[in-house]
Amino acid sequence: MDCPTCETMVDAYVDGELTTSESAAFERALEGCPECRRRLEAARTLSGLLRELPAEPAPDLLRARIERELRTIAGASRVRLPGAGMRWGAMAAEPAPDLLRARIERELRTIAGASRVRLPGAGMRWGAMAASLIVAVSIGWLGGSLVGQGGRETDELVAGYIRMAMSEHGVDVASSDRHTVKPWFAGRIDYSPPVHDLTQEGFPLVGGRLDFIDGRKVAVLVYRHNQHRVALTLWPSSLSGNTAATVRQRDGFALAEWRHDGFDMRAVADLAPAEMKAFTTAVDAAVTEDR
Amino acid sequence: MGRMSDAPKPDGGTVGRFRSVVLPHLDAAYGYARWLTRDPVEAQDVAQEAMLRALRYFHAFRGEEARPWLMRIVRNTWIDLRKRNGAEKLPLEVLETRAAEGPDPEQSALAGDRRRQVAAALAALPAESREVLVLREIEDLSYKHIAAVLDLPIGTVMSRIARAREKLVVELKGRLERSEHGLPDL
Repeated sequence: MDCPTCETMVDAYVDGELTTSESAAFERALEGCPECRRRLEAARTLSGLLRELPAEPAPDLLRARIERELRTIAGASRVRLPGAGMRWGAMAAEPAPDLLRARIERELRTIAGASRVRLPGAGMRWGAMAASLIVAVSIGWLGGSLVGQGGRETDELVAGYIRMAMSEHGVDVASSDRHTVKPWFAGRIDYSPPVHDLTQEGFPLVGGRLDFIDGRKVAVLVYRHNQHRVALTLWPSSLSGNTAATVRQRDGFALAEWRHDGFDMRAVADLAPAEMKAFTTAVDAAVTEDR
Repeated sequence: MGRMSDAPKPDGGTVGRFRSVVLPHLDAAYGYARWLTRDPVEAQDVAQEAMLRALRYFHAFRGEEARPWLMRIVRNTWIDLRKRNGAEKLPLEVLETRAAEGPDPEQSALAGDRRRQVAAALAALPAESREVLVLREIEDLSYKHIAAVLDLPIGTVMSRIARAREKLVVELKGRLERSEHGLPDL
């Protein structure tokens, strides 16, 4: 075997794609070819390095979105939680379950307990469940003692967003008409939030819902952007003056925080930061124009 | 893959079979999309759209291996969405910074500087080299399956893998020269 021939076989040999006789011929040729031995070593090293890269499992929100689609297509008549038929093996394979996974676990248990339907744990490995429970508990403690109020508010906003994204409709009042959504809040909360449809800006209004932030009942407006949802939570501010929205990313979510026209605004979405910024600008423009 | 109008509407039974045959490969679909797009938000869009397409095409699935079948749909979805959205979505600068991050920089940082360097080097490769290495080394597909995903002859797959490894060596060496990260000799 000449060197150009054995050179072409190096990668196939590393990848186990040669037949037994081809492998044997290659190994014999290798003895007289230091250059191909070097190539072989390099290919093996690379292969080892790539294989030790940590795998990134599909985010839970993506699973939830696909579940929602599948339920709709299957014409779900029965209530079925996203966890029920899901594969949680990826969780057990991970060295340490991440914050988001643990929080979603906690949320799923709360939702399952509250609506008395089949527990997400039914098809799950209990070892993994117990492990994540411990993590969830310790995170809860950290959240209280170290992260403080700001962290807990963010936790509550993200948890509310996940509840919204996982539920069938995600809203308590479904309408793109502000004259339907705005009056719906009257009598349910003690303030009247500004409601605007932002279809022109690429964010059609889906509806409204209620949530709890820091023990207080608040208004949440839900918008759509392509197949993504944006949750805008807002309540009257104790401070005056407008602030520019700050957008940050956490666990694959974009979070925006700002104050406009007497309201504290918080937006959560699985959007890119630039799209989130565009959303906050659209909200501000609509509120200002309406004054 | 038949045209969408030819596809029968999936019913409850189809969705049930889809759940047990295709849905278990969602992690792999997302992982591949993550490396193709190099962006977590875009990767979720690609993976979701691919899953819905896979359900529509599921009637044409003939019990071959589900993972390469799904990966091919992921790839075609990525190409279609990229065409639809255009390349103007991200300026080149952002793309390059993103590329240097690789997936999940936080986890990579915990796992060590070496892994981060390797991920960054892989992310910096052109798509053609990047995807063939991802399918081979990360998704662990055989040449035959990679050929099916990329719709190429096996011989072309073989030479692409060889070329991609050469490029990755160069990329890694460049990074090695810039900093001391204890990468093994290549």
